[in-house]
Amino acid sequence: MLSRAARPALRAGAAVSSRAAAPTATFATLREIEGRLKSIRNIEKITKTMKIVASTKLTRAQRAMNDSRKYGQTSNEVFESAETKALEGEGKKKLLVVCSSDKGLCGGVHSGLSRYIRRRSLEDSNFDLVILGEKCRSQLQRTNAKDIVLNFSGVGKDVPSFTEAQAVADQIVQLAGDYSGIEIIYNKFINATSYEPTAIEAFSEEAIAASPNFAAFEVDEELLSNLREYTLANSLYWALSEGHACEISARRNAMDNASKNAGEMISKYQILFNRTRQAVITGELVEIITGATASEDM
Amino acid sequence: MTFAWKAAGLTYNRYLAVAARVVRRSLKEDKRLIAERRGQQELRFAKWTNGKQGEIQNLAEANAQAAVESAATGGTH
Repeated sequence: MLSRAARPALRAGAAVSSRAAAPTATFATLREIEGRLKSIRNIEKITKTMKIVASTKLTRAQRAMNDSRKYGQTSNEVFESAETKALEGEGKKKLLVVCSSDKGLCGGVHSGLSRYIRRRSLEDSNFDLVILGEKCRSQLQRTNAKDIVLNFSGVGKDVPSFTEAQAVADQIVQLAGDYSGIEIIYNKFINATSYEPTAIEAFSEEAIAASPNFAAFEVDEELLSNLREYTLANSLYWALSEGHACEISARRNAMDNASKNAGEMISKYQILFNRTRQAVITGELVEIITGATASEDM
Repeated sequence: MTFAWKAAGLTYNRYLAVAARVVRRSLKEDKRLIAERRGQQELRFAKWTNGKQGEIQNLAEANAQAAVESAATGGTH
């Protein structure tokens, strides 16, 4: 009995000297875990709210996308029936218009576009870039800074309006360069979880004039530049709206996943917190009991 | 066929934007407020030369500026 009693006493004696360090350490980790739990809970709250915001915006964005898609396709129907083909510009540069936006936190929407451009530049780097939105600008600035001729910011704060598309098209038309054609790169909305970078062709005046069935429309040569500018604005509007819908739905998914991950982390940390708390209590109880038995024996 | 707006140096999109603005402004008060929201845009843009970003400008002002300039030079667009 004495030896049994002596050992905890010994340990208690040893604990006295190290008390200052050891127990405070466990309390600190407990507090640490608590703090971490709190911050994860806050993050979950934020991501959940963002998800709800994105969900409510999504219906509006999708409606705008459907309308604008119909609109853009109708506008391009002329070229389909005229069988307009992009001219093989001999050594002439192409102009690529990249439709991203200013805001992040929406998965791989923007980097998908950037990757598409980089892949294109590996195959054939004879193009200039016009970039809509800060996200793709900062990504492409690192690799393709030499090709950028214009960039726009302030895109995608809300559902894109035709006024915006028109103003952008106006500025693009005024570019000094002589291009064989314009391609608008945007994220095509396939379904709520998938999208892929796609190009809409906006033809140059020469291409429109050279299309085989164009004579059927009986359009004056002089009006071609108007038609070109107008269809550019139409296609831009289409691309912007569809890109915007993709972004919102991608953000909704990203925030959904983030909330799920945060929930998982919270339950993990909650268990850890409870275990640690239990351990601390057990430790304290052991100390009290051993202390009591030790003093009883004496 | 020559158009007055073309002679004044406007691009087609600029011409459309001006026409749309006029229509929006002549609507009745309640409808006008809703319509004018569609006419707003706060885009900014910058020109790049040799991989360097130029000065950031307001797009609406720059477009108006360009129209004035091309009007001054006789509108050869």
